[in-house]
Amino acid sequence: MSGYLTGVLVVLAFNVMAAYAVYLPLAAGQLNLGIAGFMAIGAYASAFLTNEYGWPMWAAIPFGSALAGLMGVLIGIPVLRTHGIYLAMATFALGQVISAVFLNLEVVGGAAGYPVSDYATPGVVWAAAAGVVVLMLYVSRTRFALCLTAVKSDPTVADLLGVSVRGMQVAAFALGAAVAGFGGGLYAHHYNFVEAQHFNVLLSVFTVLYVLFGGTQTVWGPLVGAAFFTLVPEVLRASDQWRYAVFAAFIILFMAVRPQGLVTASLLRIFRRRRVTP
Amino acid sequence: MSAALSISGLSKSFAGVRAIRDLSFEVPKGRTTALIGPNGAGKTTVFNLVSGVYGVDAGRITVNGQDVTHMPSRRRISTGVARSFQNIRLMSHLSVLENLLVGQHVRASSLGALLTPYRLIPNHRWKREARAALAESGLGAYADETVSALPYGVRKRIDLVRATLAGASVLMLDEPAAGLNPSETNALRDHLNALAQKGITLLVVEHDMHFVDSICESVVVLNFGEKIAEGPLSEVRRDPKVREAYIGMDGED
Amino acid sequence: MLAQQIVNGLMLGAIYMLVAVAFTLAIGVLNFLNFSLPGLFMVGGMVSFGMMKLGWPWFLAFAVALLAAAFISLLVERLAYRRMQSGDPEVPLVSSLGFLVLLENLVLIQYGSDQQAFPALLPDMNFRFGGLVIGMAQVASLAVSLGLVFWLSRFLAATNAGRRIRTVAESRETALLMGIDIARLVPQLFVASALLAAFAGILFAVNYQQVSPFMGEGIGFKGVAAMIVGGMGSIWGAVLGGLLIGLAEVLSISFLGADVVNITVYGLLLLILILRPQGLLGRPASREKL
Repeated sequence: MSGYLTGVLVVLAFNVMAAYAVYLPLAAGQLNLGIAGFMAIGAYASAFLTNEYGWPMWAAIPFGSALAGLMGVLIGIPVLRTHGIYLAMATFALGQVISAVFLNLEVVGGAAGYPVSDYATPGVVWAAAAGVVVLMLYVSRTRFALCLTAVKSDPTVADLLGVSVRGMQVAAFALGAAVAGFGGGLYAHHYNFVEAQHFNVLLSVFTVLYVLFGGTQTVWGPLVGAAFFTLVPEVLRASDQWRYAVFAAFIILFMAVRPQGLVTASLLRIFRRRRVTP
Repeated sequence: MSAALSISGLSKSFAGVRAIRDLSFEVPKGRTTALIGPNGAGKTTVFNLVSGVYGVDAGRITVNGQDVTHMPSRRRISTGVARSFQNIRLMSHLSVLENLLVGQHVRASSLGALLTPYRLIPNHRWKREARAALAESGLGAYADETVSALPYGVRKRIDLVRATLAGASVLMLDEPAAGLNPSETNALRDHLNALAQKGITLLVVEHDMHFVDSICESVVVLNFGEKIAEGPLSEVRRDPKVREAYIGMDGED
Repeated sequence: MLAQQIVNGLMLGAIYMLVAVAFTLAIGVLNFLNFSLPGLFMVGGMVSFGMMKLGWPWFLAFAVALLAAAFISLLVERLAYRRMQSGDPEVPLVSSLGFLVLLENLVLIQYGSDQQAFPALLPDMNFRFGGLVIGMAQVASLAVSLGLVFWLSRFLAATNAGRRIRTVAESRETALLMGIDIARLVPQLFVASALLAAFAGILFAVNYQQVSPFMGEGIGFKGVAAMIVGGMGSIWGAVLGGLLIGLAEVLSISFLGADVVNITVYGLLLLILILRPQGLLGRPASREKL
């Protein structure tokens, strides 16, 4: 495999993980505009454990992920008291604060960045991303996913049917944070370098954009969205600036025509029925 | 003791306006009762108080002998009380089956149940149960349809099936017949009668007095948040207080 | 030098204030967190810069910039707002973010990513009060911003058009019953908020004599923070929030260092959101739509 292709597919793997980190809370109706902050937590925590304590990567990255998830619970409980715009803004502010904190944390290099001593090969990154996808497919087949959908589409009715709306929301938020932390940890170990500036608002925003483009009604949407966002510009061989401009214009027009995203539940249902009764 | 739902001394104000005043009534177990009254009499507010969407200012609510007055709304379903809304609140982009599965939540909310990949297991018992409940109501053909694609009358009845699957023994229905055509109304009536046959207690808010007459054994009449009469419909409609408050009853015969 | 820092903070706050008012107009009336506004702020500064670079006089350059912002805002209304009453509530917000990204990258393609020097328009004259140094441009922009906001609040309070806008903000149903033509009012509001944002961008360019394709992000997002801190939908809340955020920023730069700004500003926002989500001057929130 050429170095170029490997590079693109590694980026795809990171984008897929980020997409599911955004998707989980979104499936419960929460727009998390601060996902990059949780990636940063996973990245820095795992890099710190590898560098300073000599932890093996396979222990450090899951630990970083768990820490991001834990932060998701701790921060999610107060922040999820807010709804709608307020929640979106709270997560947005959170992302900014987290990345600014790392920017000022001298113990992990501050603004100069933080080199990481252990290396995750492309194979490891792909396997991890595949693992995340499989996990998400599994989760989407459970009652938990059904409860998230119920909480999203009608919290009042979900509550009256006995669903713990707050519990589901915090769980979705924290699991999304954990997935983000996992991707962040791998990112640090694959590129052998972390800098706080990478985990900025635009990273969060782009992720949300392609997840919504893919569609949030089904578990396939984020995968399709991430693949589209990563691969199509490569195929077009567009320059970076044109890539973002064209992508943004495309998303705006696409969402105006099909606000529910590319992959929807009824689309899949039609597809499935055709397969069963040819 | 045989009251499925008992309300005593219930009061509720919104911004100083008293929506419900010292309201007391009982719904006997297994009977179908209508809650009627002019617009703004507080009927839907009673539903909201019993289901816990609003907290009460004063009074006591018991369901099947259990005091639910200060119980969080989420826990009330386990006492057997469920409700419908005036506008149907199903998840419209999901299939009928998935909507019904949410109804089972109260009986499948352990961590193990939440993480069981039921969708990967053909004929999982939850799906079997939901399909059976649908078939029993003559709606079996709709199981895999998307809710938004279904006629209004069918959606109303799917809402009922969902409540039954939640194990509701006391079901509060907010204007179930509103917006239905005659054949849909008949189907709904049969459905409600079948529920009553199974011993489910129904409390129905409804404007259509023919419909009320055809399914309810007794009625409670509200006006300005107060009970002004109760008893069999034929008696209540002769009550002068009711005639005065509720002019609409005169014309409908 | 504390007094000097406070003055500088208030001057910066005046810019945030205008952006916050633009946001608050969109949120309060349309219930739409319009993230294209930071882009329109940038359009205000960058298009002015571009036209002046072509040799146009400043007043025409400003007019072109304001027109461009108004036009783009109508596109946002068409594509991000109007079409999306049916989909998920987060879609309009995210689509407006798409506009921000689009505008930034289009300007970047045209002018490059570097910061550009904006020509000095006002004579380099300073007022001195005791030890305080206050620039002419600063005074002018503070006065103009406050004047504009004051006028806007009078307009909303005392004119028929203002009353119509406030009715829509209170309840769309009531507005419809009263025969208010919402379909006409909405694009007008989009234009108004775009003009405010673009004007703030021009003021920023004149004041700090620098522009870049990304100038909208930092300022625009802090404008959102200012709006929320002050209270969504309240004009005077936006004023208070803008000045507070400006002060917090300048004071934390001078006492704690430039890298800490995001922690103080967004930390303040986060704190307000958790403790008093309706903001300092806002009314308790009903459930919002995104």
